Amino acid sequence: MRAIRGVLLTCDPAVKQILLMMNEKESFIIEDLDDHHLVIKAEHEYRIRKELETELEKNTYSLES
Amino acid sequence: MSGKRSAEVGASQPAKRQRINEESLELANEDDVIPPSPPDTSYVPKSAIINFSALTRKLAENKRIEDDEPMLNASSFDIHRRQQDKLISHIFMDQDFSWLHLKPDHQSRPLWISPEDGHIILEAFSPIAEQAQDFLTAISEPVSRPSMIHEYKLTSYSLYAAVSVGLQTDDIIEVLNRLSKVPVPDSIVTFIRGCTLSYGKVKLVLKHNKYFVESSHPETLQLLLKDRVIREARIITTQTDNSIKAATFTTSKAPTRGNLVIPGTEKKKDEAGKGGPQNVGATDADLFTSVVGVDADEIDEDDDNVHAFQIKDDKIDEVKKRCNELEYPMLEEYDFRNDTVNANLDIDLKPATVIRPYQETSLSKMFGNGRARSGIIVLPCGAGKTLVGITAACTIKKSCLVLCTSSVSVMQWKQQFMLWSNVTDRQIAVFTADQKEKFAGDSGIVVSTYSMVANTHNRSHESKKMMEFLTSREWGFILLDEVHVVPAAMFRRVVTTIKAHSKLGLTATLVREDDKIADLNYMIGPKLYEANWMDLAAKGHIANVQCAEVWCPMTPEFYHEYLKEQSRKRMLLYCMNPNKFQSCQFLIKYHEDRGDKIIVFSDNVFALEAYARRLGKLYIHGGVGQVERMLVLSKFQHDPRVNTIFLSKVGDTSIDLPEATCLIQISSHFGSRRQEAQRLGRILRAKRRNDEGFNAFFYSLVSKDTQEMFYSTKRQQFLIDQGYAFKVITHLDGLENLPDLVYRTQDEQIELLQSVLIANDNDADLGTDIRAVEGDLAGTVTSKDFGPMKFPAAQRTTGSLSALSGGQHMSYVEQNKSANRGIARAGPSAQTSRHKLFAKREKDKATARKESRAGGM
Repeated sequence: MRAIRGVLLTCDPAVKQILLMMNEKESFIIEDLDDHHLVIKAEHEYRIRKELETELEKNTYSLES
Repeated sequence: MSGKRSAEVGASQPAKRQRINEESLELANEDDVIPPSPPDTSYVPKSAIINFSALTRKLAENKRIEDDEPMLNASSFDIHRRQQDKLISHIFMDQDFSWLHLKPDHQSRPLWISPEDGHIILEAFSPIAEQAQDFLTAISEPVSRPSMIHEYKLTSYSLYAAVSVGLQTDDIIEVLNRLSKVPVPDSIVTFIRGCTLSYGKVKLVLKHNKYFVESSHPETLQLLLKDRVIREARIITTQTDNSIKAATFTTSKAPTRGNLVIPGTEKKKDEAGKGGPQNVGATDADLFTSVVGVDADEIDEDDDNVHAFQIKDDKIDEVKKRCNELEYPMLEEYDFRNDTVNANLDIDLKPATVIRPYQETSLSKMFGNGRARSGIIVLPCGAGKTLVGITAACTIKKSCLVLCTSSVSVMQWKQQFMLWSNVTDRQIAVFTADQKEKFAGDSGIVVSTYSMVANTHNRSHESKKMMEFLTSREWGFILLDEVHVVPAAMFRRVVTTIKAHSKLGLTATLVREDDKIADLNYMIGPKLYEANWMDLAAKGHIANVQCAEVWCPMTPEFYHEYLKEQSRKRMLLYCMNPNKFQSCQFLIKYHEDRGDKIIVFSDNVFALEAYARRLGKLYIHGGVGQVERMLVLSKFQHDPRVNTIFLSKVGDTSIDLPEATCLIQISSHFGSRRQEAQRLGRILRAKRRNDEGFNAFFYSLVSKDTQEMFYSTKRQQFLIDQGYAFKVITHLDGLENLPDLVYRTQDEQIELLQSVLIANDNDADLGTDIRAVEGDLAGTVTSKDFGPMKFPAAQRTTGSLSALSGGQHMSYVEQNKSANRGIARAGPSAQTSRHKLFAKREKDKATARKESRAGGM
């Protein structure tokens, strides 16, 4: 049996929902533990963080925009 | 990157060195003023300082080579200063202004001017900040005024305004220099000179109904007369000599304020007010003599002679335009006291009416030299803009046209005129879609809306006649309410069709989302006065408000749907977030227990109704009938058990709201800064504001991680610039322990979600309950009569007969009744159901009457 390197993510429920949406496009979630915890594939971690960042940034108002 | 930066540093170096040498004498004194003076060694331990990073070290090394030479003969302070520069300057990149040297006594001077964009930073905690503020509001525009540091901006318009209230170029520079920590940068000096040189030198004056171009500088007039257009427009009166000399101008004494007293202020008070700052100035150091000096200069200047030439009435527009092209824009002033052509209007403020100090200041800016200037006055909501307008009208005492945004405010203006002044019913007329009156006599007041006057489409016969009446005569004064909402094109039409000697614009929020504010500057005039909200709150003219933004996390189910949905439905989802529901319930409970009267605002009608029904509160939106609405309002006002009311957009402006002390916002119109300010205005006039420690509360409930966060921050910008601080509440303490908390279980939440999902797409729209009526401006929600409700179009569905007859449903009971219905039923019936005693008596009476009738027969 092949082992997959996983990373445990702790997040708030809202972020988890965003991650679930992203998962539908490209699957990376190994296990959905509870409202605050997810195990995801390690190689996707960096990309996921980046995408999440841009997603959350959309709701932030800054004077420049 | 680093190469570019070091090049920059190298380039700025010579200038810096030169400056230091020039001011070395001053700097030597400074040495003992600044506490952290360096150890007196002839060279500096470089290694101790340069240990930030490889980058800074490299930079510093480059510099050190350059610096080695001058260091030999420089004072220790110089070296210290340069070392500091080295460490800091690269952080600021382009904004590095360390080459601007502080004056030795900079600590007692409150402001700093940016040499690049004319921004002025003021220390509002400085002991002389108040005087500095007065000066700055006169010459610049406030950008942001939080409690400690204020920001102002010098613009050409603000300088234009400064000149128009009588300040002179040299005085402006002089005072700025005295108040500034650094010498006023040359770039700013040239900017000020450039702007003020031409501005305000030429005035357009209407005297005896003839237009004069007036100036205290004959050279300027000669310059203008060299222009062909203007020369042709000129009417040559006395001398036939065509050579243009100063002698040909009619020369007269410049007007002084003289005996003009703004009604509502006693003259004595006025003088005391003027003497006040002077006395303060005398006791303090020479710093303020400058501020006061301006006052004196103003009077001197007024004694000068002015020169004028007359121009033809029909050429006015051309001359105005030409002057603008020549960069000599004309100031418009109205010498109303010497106007004998237009009949006087005999109105005055009622003796009991006293205007507040800031209202007086704003008016004194307008009537500064005994004439009426055109311009805009900015005062917060609830600070008595109406009274300022009425006082101005009573000062000018000529025919007056008041324009406002809706038919509701037309009636309010009329009512206010009757309340504060002794105008009679015959002198004041209303011109709206359903009322077309004319005043009796030669002069009077007409109140109307912008769109009635600017309308170019077909008019009814009556309004056509009314318009002829309006355009045929000359108005002494035109008062423009809520100027910021008027579209430029409509405005121009108003201004060109109505002949008015002076214009006054009133507004609370000189912001627009489309940034077309600058248009107003040349159409009405400069901003004459802008009040400081915080100042007024501190003095008790408006209530102290605690602003808070409550973050409500989205529940996972709602957020999941939110991510899936498209924009319109999204709005509904974040409004109906169960956590927001709970926060709302908690806040209402908390403030009702404190004895507050609460208004809850929701732009979304679907959410409004859902909240109000679930929480068992009364509500008003556009679909609520007039009778029911009055009932709800009077309940809220008088019934001690009804402390909360839910309002849709109709509450923004159109309803005369009873006072409230707490405001909760659950949904709002995107990022509209004006709406936010307007809603805040609802609690600013609270009567209890002068109680010690009284605070009004303003909550915005925001669903976390949604677009609402973005809009909410944007909305707050205006209020933040006025000095309001928004606290963020991430968790309401005790929320979980609230008995009968709504949507506590997940099942209930999911049920709510279902109801949201099946809701019609249209329900997600904002402000659907309101429809514009003729006479209202687009974008202002103002009409009181919302017209008949739209009926949904017929729908065709297929279904079995039993389903259509309801046979497939088990039973139907309405669980979640509207609280409105309760009072509607209780209302009329409460009047009819009487005490048993009376009921019996009435019954007896009725039988007695019947009997007597029977007996009579």
